[in-house]
Amino acid sequence: MSHTVLHWLQGVVGMKLLLASSGVLTALTLTMPPTRPPREAPSPFRPLFTAASTHTRNVTAGSRGISSRALSTVVQRYCGSCHNATMRRGNVSLAGFDVELAADDPSITERMIRKLRAEMMPPPGSKRPTGDTLIALVETLENVMDKAPVNPGTRTFQRMNRPEYERVVRDLLGVEVNAGDYLPLDTKSANFDNISDVQSLSATLLESYLNAAAAVSRMALGDRKAVVTQTMYKASPFGSQHPWDHVEGTPYGTRGGIVTTHTFPADGEYEFKLNVGGGIGAKREDLIISIDGEQVALLKYEKGIARNNESADFPAGADYVRSEPIAVAAGQRKVSVSFVRRTDGPYEDLIKPHDWSRASQGTASAGTTESPPLMDVSIKGPYKITGISDTPTRRNLLSCSSTARAAQRLCAEQTITRLATRAYRRPLTSHDKASLMAFYDAGASPASKTSFEDGMQNALQAVLASPYFIFRFEPEPAKAVAGKDYRIGDFDLASRLSFFLWGTMPDDRLLGLARRQQLSDKVVFNAEVKRMLADPRSEALSTRFAAQWLRLQDVDKVHPDAFIFPDFDERVSRAMQRETELFFNDIVRNDKSIFELFSANYTFVNERLAKHYGIPNVSGDEFRKVQNVDSTRRGIFGQGSMLLQTSLGNRTSPVLRGKWVMEVLLGTPPPPPPPDVPDLEQTAGSKDGKPLTTRERMELHRANATCRSCHLYMDPIGLALDNFDVTGRQRYRENGAGLDTRGQMYDGTQMSTSGDLTKALLSRPIPLVRNFTENLMAYALGRRVEDYDQPTVRLISKDAATKGYKMSSFVMGVVNSPAFRSKRAEPVSADASSH
Amino acid sequence: MTFLTQKHLHRRTFLRGLSATIALPYLDAMRPAGRVLGSRSTETAPTDKTRVVCIESVHGAAGSNIWGASKNLWAPAGVGRDFTLNPEGALASLEPWKKYLTVVSNTDVRMAEPFDAPEIGGDHFRSSAVFLTQAHPKQTQGSDLYVGTSFDQIVARRIGQDTAIPSMQLCIENLDQAGGCTYNYACAYTDTISWASPSQPLPMIRNPRAAFELLFGAGSNNADRASRRKVNGSILDWMTGEMGTLKRDLGASDRHRLEQYLENIRELERRIQMVEARNSSGAERALPEAPAGVPDSFDEHVKLMFDVQVLAFESDMTRVFSFKTGRDASSRTFPESGTNKAFHPASHHGGREAAILDFNTINKYHVAQLPYFLDKLKNTMEGDTNLLDKTLIMYGSPMGDPNIHNHRRCPLLLMGGANGKLANHLHLKAPDGTPMADVMLTLLHKLGVDDMRSFGDSAAPFSLSA
Repeated sequence: MSHTVLHWLQGVVGMKLLLASSGVLTALTLTMPPTRPPREAPSPFRPLFTAASTHTRNVTAGSRGISSRALSTVVQRYCGSCHNATMRRGNVSLAGFDVELAADDPSITERMIRKLRAEMMPPPGSKRPTGDTLIALVETLENVMDKAPVNPGTRTFQRMNRPEYERVVRDLLGVEVNAGDYLPLDTKSANFDNISDVQSLSATLLESYLNAAAAVSRMALGDRKAVVTQTMYKASPFGSQHPWDHVEGTPYGTRGGIVTTHTFPADGEYEFKLNVGGGIGAKREDLIISIDGEQVALLKYEKGIARNNESADFPAGADYVRSEPIAVAAGQRKVSVSFVRRTDGPYEDLIKPHDWSRASQGTASAGTTESPPLMDVSIKGPYKITGISDTPTRRNLLSCSSTARAAQRLCAEQTITRLATRAYRRPLTSHDKASLMAFYDAGASPASKTSFEDGMQNALQAVLASPYFIFRFEPEPAKAVAGKDYRIGDFDLASRLSFFLWGTMPDDRLLGLARRQQLSDKVVFNAEVKRMLADPRSEALSTRFAAQWLRLQDVDKVHPDAFIFPDFDERVSRAMQRETELFFNDIVRNDKSIFELFSANYTFVNERLAKHYGIPNVSGDEFRKVQNVDSTRRGIFGQGSMLLQTSLGNRTSPVLRGKWVMEVLLGTPPPPPPPDVPDLEQTAGSKDGKPLTTRERMELHRANATCRSCHLYMDPIGLALDNFDVTGRQRYRENGAGLDTRGQMYDGTQMSTSGDLTKALLSRPIPLVRNFTENLMAYALGRRVEDYDQPTVRLISKDAATKGYKMSSFVMGVVNSPAFRSKRAEPVSADASSH
Repeated sequence: MTFLTQKHLHRRTFLRGLSATIALPYLDAMRPAGRVLGSRSTETAPTDKTRVVCIESVHGAAGSNIWGASKNLWAPAGVGRDFTLNPEGALASLEPWKKYLTVVSNTDVRMAEPFDAPEIGGDHFRSSAVFLTQAHPKQTQGSDLYVGTSFDQIVARRIGQDTAIPSMQLCIENLDQAGGCTYNYACAYTDTISWASPSQPLPMIRNPRAAFELLFGAGSNNADRASRRKVNGSILDWMTGEMGTLKRDLGASDRHRLEQYLENIRELERRIQMVEARNSSGAERALPEAPAGVPDSFDEHVKLMFDVQVLAFESDMTRVFSFKTGRDASSRTFPESGTNKAFHPASHHGGREAAILDFNTINKYHVAQLPYFLDKLKNTMEGDTNLLDKTLIMYGSPMGDPNIHNHRRCPLLLMGGANGKLANHLHLKAPDGTPMADVMLTLLHKLGVDDMRSFGDSAAPFSLSA
């Protein structure tokens, strides 16, 4: 008690000092005792404190021996000059804020906790209390918030989104589909594409799933009645078809071309039409068409042989090269088309960016050569259908030796039951079976040679169109009481687990455990989670979760300027995305600390990427782990995926890099720029005839005080990474001048390299860890993480700290949280449209 | 890994190939009597069959800036029938189409302005929701979305119920936004311009092939389409039957969501019935081959989407389209336009003349896509009239000067004859402070929604004659 009083007194003394040194406004605030605002109604969660109870409040100790009343004063003194009722900086007023009643306004309190933990507030340049006072404040706020009973929250059912659809169809039927051909785009919320309450329904959406079901069931079983259609596959203009460059998947000894998976609906003949762009100085080429690795045609190209005007935009024109009809068996097959390689020696091409191929078209001048590129390939057919050959998918679905109708029906029932159980992720009721068999019967009649197949196709289409397949309903127990929590069922738990960890449906083992009601057993459950993390399917945590969290899709949006970065092409950017996926996957599979993300001295590269980074002794298209790449390239800050997506085509952007770190890693996004700010391009590019570096231009740009208040946070972070250029290569100079990457982190730490940045971030792990947990939780739950989830986030983070921040400790924390295992029942009368 | 695998079919291939057929529009006598939604349709059965297309262009226009306006970069010099389009301005490509054009300048979309401190700066994430609703969106990330019923949907309820598909929604840009949408606005506000109700956003279709298949059905020929329709019909029947079982086990908001799903099922059943009814009458007609997918170029993509719309009108599959040609804050570049500047950065032109002109170059390129559509409609006859005379095209932006995110003096063009409802060859300059909603209210009246007293923040109907 006396300790508390001492601190309280210190507070008062401090207050007087401040009073003496600052303006009238502060003085006015301070002459008033720290009171809480008048309250209109008693909070439903805690008894309203009366005047008499104020005495009791005084004895409630805050953290580190500082009383909560003293901490409330700290809030007024150090936060109140901006966050008051008049100024409302950041739209927050802390007037009358009472630490003890912090739980009454969770949104404000959680924002305070976040900013205080990141040590971003009070802002640089403002007065901060010394010692551990701010820590005491944030700990106390956390304690107050964490006292409330855990609310597991609830959410509506999830819909299978595009990437899940692709994985599930692959697992269920062994067919590769592109869900984007049928389904509308998924709406994202809070970084992720699986947030259930923004997965709105519409007639168009429903019809998309119906169309997908019709198409996928035919892809799986083949289509005897297929009519001739033509599909075109276009080569990306950003891919290289250079005489040296082999495209992965094409035969060795070839250059350039396309590799694609085409679904041949039936055994029959197909025509291939290749559109070849006219090169410069190379008049003849040989082209090879291969299907599943086997050469099926060798075609001669000669410039001018069959000009077409489809490519009028291509200066050197283009010619069609057509194949004779080629017999191909039904099924999904890998088709490759490429040129026979003619050049083995060095190939000099000084004018055109040599790795850039068609993207730099039209820049060649006399004396340069350019090999003709393959523009696109069209596959047309089938002609002369002879039947449908066996494929693994067909064998799996049509395994019935009998030709007798009754026996076939029995086979069908067994196969459909097996299939639908997996597709619905639960056992079938007799009603389910009867419904699906009705579809079989409708398809199988009238009797014909193909009636078994037709019936199966019809039933499969029904399974894929079924709401039980598309939606993940989670039944509410009959005895659920509104406002009370209930545990979700074992089958729903199995689905939640498998879509979280694998991005696809549960396997038979999980469903078996659910059927025996063993999955909810703690020991079994945890063992299953371990098994799933060790399974290769947990790659979904990197390709689905981490890819969205780290925004790998944004890499595609930046196209480095071909004239500044002539060696860059699409293969490099794809390799960069893959690098980060494999890197994250390595952390998952080997259960490493998530801080490896920052400090790892290894990464994953193939030859192309290794060459780009300057890593020696890596050859071939396969990715492999390389150790100790170089002392400046560590973790995610040394990976092209992060560095490229935060750049512009022609220069780096320390602002975007800083913003990315604050938003993606720290979970404290800077406010967006106000409209009407001049962009960097508008600041002078040179001064006294000397080109300025990005840093110098940024400093000019930052002269504006409004801009400064946020750029103070972002710019130094980004500058510390400025030794990596747009494409993630090391550099020491820019525009002829040496780079100056020195800066001061908002907490005052001096930084000039990515290593310094990592050190500064890791010195304060809590924001990183909580932000990671929050993202993992949102993705796992399929809902945004709310203020009431923050106690859970803190608990998981704290527990992970005791387990060395291992990946599994976060996953285990999330899947064992009430939010994952339970739901809060809604009032029966809840009308979702009225809130 | 496969790097070079983009599915694509050339647009010209789509237009050239004639591999399928579809029935001609069915006779008026076959129209089912009194639809539930269009309660007035029996009285004012639209024998003239007006078609409506609402096109949104994001980021306003260079001509909405004061200097840009003084140079007539958007609104032409002169008002009434005597106006000249600036050859350097955004509307230059419409010069040959003046006969079919009404420029309404100087209207405001003030519902897109911030109402409250947390909304300041969030214009890019709010504006698209305002364009066709002229209502102010509730700031939320969750499912409690609220804005207004959009213009196209009100029209679809009145004139779209006689067709298999009451309305369709198309878009050009990939809506994938890293990190979701900021400023605490749900992505739906940014991603769609069509709202079936204030809380029901409608998804927009980006893939021309998917749009084609939704219109005409998936399948390789008519027999195949018919058999797929039949299977879909029985699947929908079955789903309806499952609703009871499903609802019994679910919580309150899940049940509410299922109600919506049931409505979707009913809507699809209705579509199937309409198509069946039509197919059992009328002569079959050739239908081009479906497009293969999303082309790389903006130009080709937009043209494909226009092709799909003309086809839909021609076959009377639907009479109402909304078409979103861009996404707010997109940094897409349009190299064919003549500038390499990205869309969003270019829109923040800083008020500098050279930069405003750069942005104008992009506006000009966007508007220049329209003549292709106008031409195609004009060359498609229905009875004695061409489709352009029967169509109303509204092209506009919910933003004015994007540099300062304002919503005053926003771009708005009306095109097509709308079955004689538009005089055209006009530039109408609205008095300062006129809401764009006034123009929409007048259009609603002209389209037969004459019982509507107000729309969005409308003050009074806006006269569209000289």
